[in-house]
Amino acid sequence: MNRNYIFLTILMLVLAGGTLFLSMNDEPDQIDPKVLLEEMIQPTRYVSTDQVAKMLIQGDPSLMLIDVRSEDDYSYYTLPGAVNIPLDSLLVNGNLSYLGMPGTKVVFVSNDDIKADQMWVLTKRLGYNSTYVLKGGINCWMQTIIEPQRPSDDAPAVDFETYTFRKGAQMYFTGAGSGESEATKVDVEVRRREKSNVAAGGC
Amino acid sequence: MHIHELNPWRTLIALSIFVVVLIIGFITKPKPLFTYEKTIAESVSALSLSEDYVYPWELEDIIANKPDSIVLFDIRNNFVFGQGHIPGSENLAASVLSREENIDRMKKLRDMGVTVVLVGEDELHANGPWMFYRQVGFNNVKLLLGGYNYYFEHKDDLYSTIDDDAYFKGIARFDYAEMAAPKDGAALNSDDMSKPVQVQRRQKSNVAAGGC
Repeated sequence: MNRNYIFLTILMLVLAGGTLFLSMNDEPDQIDPKVLLEEMIQPTRYVSTDQVAKMLIQGDPSLMLIDVRSEDDYSYYTLPGAVNIPLDSLLVNGNLSYLGMPGTKVVFVSNDDIKADQMWVLTKRLGYNSTYVLKGGINCWMQTIIEPQRPSDDAPAVDFETYTFRKGAQMYFTGAGSGESEATKVDVEVRRREKSNVAAGGC
Repeated sequence: MHIHELNPWRTLIALSIFVVVLIIGFITKPKPLFTYEKTIAESVSALSLSEDYVYPWELEDIIANKPDSIVLFDIRNNFVFGQGHIPGSENLAASVLSREENIDRMKKLRDMGVTVVLVGEDELHANGPWMFYRQVGFNNVKLLLGGYNYYFEHKDDLYSTIDDDAYFKGIARFDYAEMAAPKDGAALNSDDMSKPVQVQRRQKSNVAAGGC
């Protein structure tokens, strides 16, 4: 056999060996760190409890809530329809398959927003888009949706509009019926004028 | 007979040039500004390390002694920084963190062994940049718990915050299941929006009161 062919064969074997070495990296694909930094400083990843409540009430099929708390916390209480992927189980058993589905908006949920934000950073590093963080987390959900506070009398009209929406959402999420309560019934007190003997005039 | 066998040297020369081009390509390939030094799994486990954080009560000492080994970088924007900031802190707004000169500055501080503390409006604000720097090998970068807002509320007595857990994140502040348990409509509507209405008719006097 020609020496050149032997040389070529050896070169190809070395290159093939090199590709084997490259595939030994088990880390999934990741975005460029500089791109991650640029994404990180944008505040666009936060969604409010009102926005999520509205999407849930409307039955928006593009919404996927991912509760990043522990399994115990998730079992005790979670938001309607949320699936559980604890932060430390992100790479376990195909959990990543919940992410990156076309047309789906993934909102990470935690007690407040730190763990959800940490999950967002890690999934963004893995190149997943359309992921968001529930600002304030479930603590804020409780304060704004489950037990909304009435704005002060001098608050702007928009605050009252938000409050009205939240009261409706509160009924929706706490499973309360829309039946009239005693408190909604209006007590009407009619005082009839006392008749006198003298003609009182008038129109 | 194959064409290359007519001039075996030509094949060898072509191969050598190919290999040289590959080597030159690898050598001149632009070096990325950052590379991930921690895997995803390592990054997750590092989140629970308490030494990666600075607690508000530790600021008392940092402000008083201004140690050369610690730099506070306030990542809020320039305008709010001008309205108030932690004494001795420098402004490095989040929007300019990715500028090359700022990255070089961070690298220099890391090489000098200086601890960089990131200060945001709150912990959430600085969480992203802090996680980023930790993942790309800046083990000198720490995060101020509570951020500037918590500092501002307690700046007169920072030591007392050692017993406070208000700045700790990740805690359930309510009994969620109990709060969200089904309620009857009466309970939900019993706020002061639904006040009973009292209709009071004007009382007519004996004197003619005038017409319409």
